[in-house]
Amino acid sequence: MSEFHDDYPSYEHMAHHSEEEGKGKRKTLWRVFWYMLAITIFELVIGSMAPAQGWSGTFGLKVLFIGLTIVKAGFIVMAFMHLGHEVTFMKWAILAPYIIFISYGIFIILDEGVYSGDPQNRTTVDPILIKQQQDLKAGHGHHAAASDAHGEGHAEHAEEAHH
Amino acid sequence: MSHSTQIDSKHAWDGGQSPFRVSYGKMMMWFFLVSDALTFGGLLVSYGFIRHKYVDVWPKAENVFTHFPFVEQHLPLAYVGLMTFILIMSSVTMVLAVEAGHRNDKKKVIIWMFWTIVGGATFVLSQAWEWYHFIVGTETGALRHVWSEELHTYVEQTVYGANMTVNEYGVPQFANYFFFITGFHGFHVFSGVIINLVIFLNVLHGTYERRGHYEMIEKVGLYWHFVDLVWVFVFTFFYLL
Repeated sequence: MSEFHDDYPSYEHMAHHSEEEGKGKRKTLWRVFWYMLAITIFELVIGSMAPAQGWSGTFGLKVLFIGLTIVKAGFIVMAFMHLGHEVTFMKWAILAPYIIFISYGIFIILDEGVYSGDPQNRTTVDPILIKQQQDLKAGHGHHAAASDAHGEGHAEHAEEAHH
Repeated sequence: MSHSTQIDSKHAWDGGQSPFRVSYGKMMMWFFLVSDALTFGGLLVSYGFIRHKYVDVWPKAENVFTHFPFVEQHLPLAYVGLMTFILIMSSVTMVLAVEAGHRNDKKKVIIWMFWTIVGGATFVLSQAWEWYHFIVGTETGALRHVWSEELHTYVEQTVYGANMTVNEYGVPQFANYFFFITGFHGFHVFSGVIINLVIFLNVLHGTYERRGHYEMIEKVGLYWHFVDLVWVFVFTFFYLL
């Protein structure tokens, strides 16, 4: 039964398969699941080791995480959403507009985002927060930083900055 | 299965068939997902922009998301790891329901759809829990300059947790983007659970059995996998980097 009762091919039935074929397909799907689980666990292990190892915020770590995310996204789109099984026309009608859009987005983030982060280009940030973050980077505890910032002169400084 | 599975690229656009070799409904679901992906892409690009702008005062996820249910110790990233696992798992159960649909196996479709709904609902509740801890914050809080309506100036005040104007973790934008993007995603998961539930009831009712195919499972499955796909990116950009 076709959706429009015309003489178009019945696309709804094309993905149908036998009991035997199903076994192989299920095996592939579970394998993809284990790959994705392994990648996620690996990411979490690296992510929780990063602060102690001094990897946090390094270029290599960012590339690794984003790369693994794209691999996972590829698994989802190609295996779970079956885009890998669609015809080439269909595949590119979906992927091409998105790839063009996101390339522009990445340019905006890396170029314009960094430019606007120049202190003279951005609105004032709470000086207490800046001090806390600096202390945090210098290796003080998270909340020790809160009391450190409670120095004399900070209030006036902030007032100046906010007006 | 009588039709050829290969497409002749020379005659693909001559009419009488879909050059994409998919049904109308499935193609429209894909086009909707592309537009939804552009929305999420726009949000994440905006997030990336602001994060690069305030790179020096952006908090590290491992200092913010440290809670785990029934455990007193600080376990950075453990809970969100569990949430990710639940969502990937429900994506697998969804695709297994689709596979069962391709064999017209109603019983298996029911089983796998059921577990997909359970997984999705668990994820939404986990997110509520995560938000609760994010909003309430730590016992110590952090000092901030907060605008006082009476004094018409900024006064120093200890801030706990997060709201839309100030938070104890970092710049206000950090919490704003967290609320907006995880909230937008969470609402997608919530809608997905509702849609899955409707389709689940139809399966129980025998709607697709009478129709002769379970393509509807595939269509809602596409939406469900998309939700998982977005989470993979949210997970990386909010929690890992």
